[in-house]
Amino acid sequence: MAQAVGFFTDITVCIGCKACQVACHQWNDLPAWEDRPDGRVSLPVLSGDSYDNTRSLSAVNWRHVKFIEQFSPNAQRSESAWLMMSDVCKHCAHAPCLEVCPTGAIVRTEFDTVYIQEPACNGCRDCVAACPFGVIHMSETRGIAQKCTFCYDRLKHGLPPACAQACPTQSIKFGPLHQLQQEAHQRLAQLRRQGVTDARLYGADGEVLGGLNAFYLLRGAPEVYGLPADPKMPSTTVPRSTFWAALTGIAVALGALFKFRERTRRPPHTPLADPAPGVSV
Amino acid sequence: MNLFVADPHWYGWVVAYFFLGGIAAGAYLLACLIEWFGTDDDARLARVAHWIALPLILLCAVFLIVDLHRPERFWHMIFKSEVTKQAFAEGFPFTATGWRWAADSLMFKPWSPMSSGSWGLSVFGACAAVSFLVAVRPHWRAVRWINRPWVMHAVRAVGVLAAVYVGSYTGALLSATSQPVWSDTTWLSPLFLASSVSTGLAAMVLLARWKRVGTPEARHKLESADLWAVGLEAVLLAAFLVSLGAYLEPMMFTVSGNLLVFGTVLAGLAAPLVIHRVYGERGWSQAAAAVCVLIGGLCLRTGAVTVNAELLARGPAAAAGISPEQTRRVGQPGADPGNRMPEVPSRTKLPGEP
Repeated sequence: MAQAVGFFTDITVCIGCKACQVACHQWNDLPAWEDRPDGRVSLPVLSGDSYDNTRSLSAVNWRHVKFIEQFSPNAQRSESAWLMMSDVCKHCAHAPCLEVCPTGAIVRTEFDTVYIQEPACNGCRDCVAACPFGVIHMSETRGIAQKCTFCYDRLKHGLPPACAQACPTQSIKFGPLHQLQQEAHQRLAQLRRQGVTDARLYGADGEVLGGLNAFYLLRGAPEVYGLPADPKMPSTTVPRSTFWAALTGIAVALGALFKFRERTRRPPHTPLADPAPGVSV
Repeated sequence: MNLFVADPHWYGWVVAYFFLGGIAAGAYLLACLIEWFGTDDDARLARVAHWIALPLILLCAVFLIVDLHRPERFWHMIFKSEVTKQAFAEGFPFTATGWRWAADSLMFKPWSPMSSGSWGLSVFGACAAVSFLVAVRPHWRAVRWINRPWVMHAVRAVGVLAAVYVGSYTGALLSATSQPVWSDTTWLSPLFLASSVSTGLAAMVLLARWKRVGTPEARHKLESADLWAVGLEAVLLAAFLVSLGAYLEPMMFTVSGNLLVFGTVLAGLAAPLVIHRVYGERGWSQAAAAVCVLIGGLCLRTGAVTVNAELLARGPAAAAGISPEQTRRVGQPGADPGNRMPEVPSRTKLPGEP
């Protein structure tokens, strides 16, 4: 297997230029919008109240620079702050989408990334429901689930993903995963020394879904960036659901036994031969 | 409650499948249990379940296939598409290599409810088909061969397990996601099973009345069993609501949440009990109670399947339990940017644009 690779996204140096988004669109030949069957356009051209025009990851935005606009709570909104974060598929070590995918379309590649095989996907949308980050979306025109491929085609040829190559401030760093993790810890220590006490790593050490191959250095709580603090694997609910359902099944069987049991023993099987009224034979 | 997820858009077809599939599974389950435990009169009455289980489950299969964005690939749920294609490319079934590929072509993930559910549905469909033939065409030669005690016991045994599975896995499927409400509880699965049983019994009661099947005593037993199932559903609904804890409040700020709770309680639980208590054994009251149970079951499925979308549309502020009036919409100043896409009206196309 090839070396495990990852993205280390340091939001403290992101300037919100969206070069990653543009590079992703260009390399993957993604359209600006998809014409939907109902005649509506799935992308606003301008959101009108933010520089964040595309608003979220989508079937045609596999990279998305979030503009998190914060204002002081007073009526004048005297102070404001912008946080910018280039969002992408996290390529989780324990990937919920891969776990639930009933067709086996979602696989882990030799680069330890998570990849959707388009010919196998049948558009059931279980992965959309399972992804705790809201990464995967359905393509209305192609009818399959879409997300970042980690530029699998480029990795195969020894090239870095388009977004990482385009990033002018090295906010998105690409490289071997363990090397990036070391770099991230060094960067965190550096920021702490500089007095940035709210800096923290998200997904670098296996605490989030066994580790994210695309992990982040954030300032403040993950929820501010639209990242769940403690996402869970979908299958963690299955044993309990099964247990309660089995108990309910037993209760139903006991209820039927109690309700319908004869007092006398029934003769050994009488075939139900007479046709039912209303059913022609 | 994770409100940073995307909405899978499981709406009408899924609701219809959960409701009708639940009726099929619940009716089949009860029919098999009655055939085992009950008198011959009861068993004759229970046969109405076999008339509906197969048609309903076939209809459900159509709904599920239509709901896929690529319906022609529905078989990918059961077979690994690329391995299967490779098996045929290698000459399956005429070559050893083809068989080796084919041996690896089955797609089964026991930990993924949608994958195991596809198998559960297939097994249930097969059992329902056998029981349907035995109930409707008992005189056919092949059916006479099947209609032997040991064969039918085996079919019922497998069918009962498959029916419990089909009735309950839909809840486990919703829980095995990262969606708000769905993934915050593990009680959807037993609740859906109880709803399957109550709605399945209600369908049997209605069908038995309509076709005048069975003795009045047997019909009475069936009708009183439906009340028992309604009681079980009430207990499980309470457990479901308690299990949501603090997330109950944001859920009750949604239309779907209210439909789920009050629709189910009023139509599915309270109304049948009141009708039984006030109007007793009159013929029409039994039918009315059964219709109420069916409406309650539909409310439960509709509310449960659509509640996540409504919470997601509200955005992350919904987690704070803020009332809709206080929640700013995306686009208003200071609104939470959220993690989703607002819909915009259709754009006027430029001249010459395809």
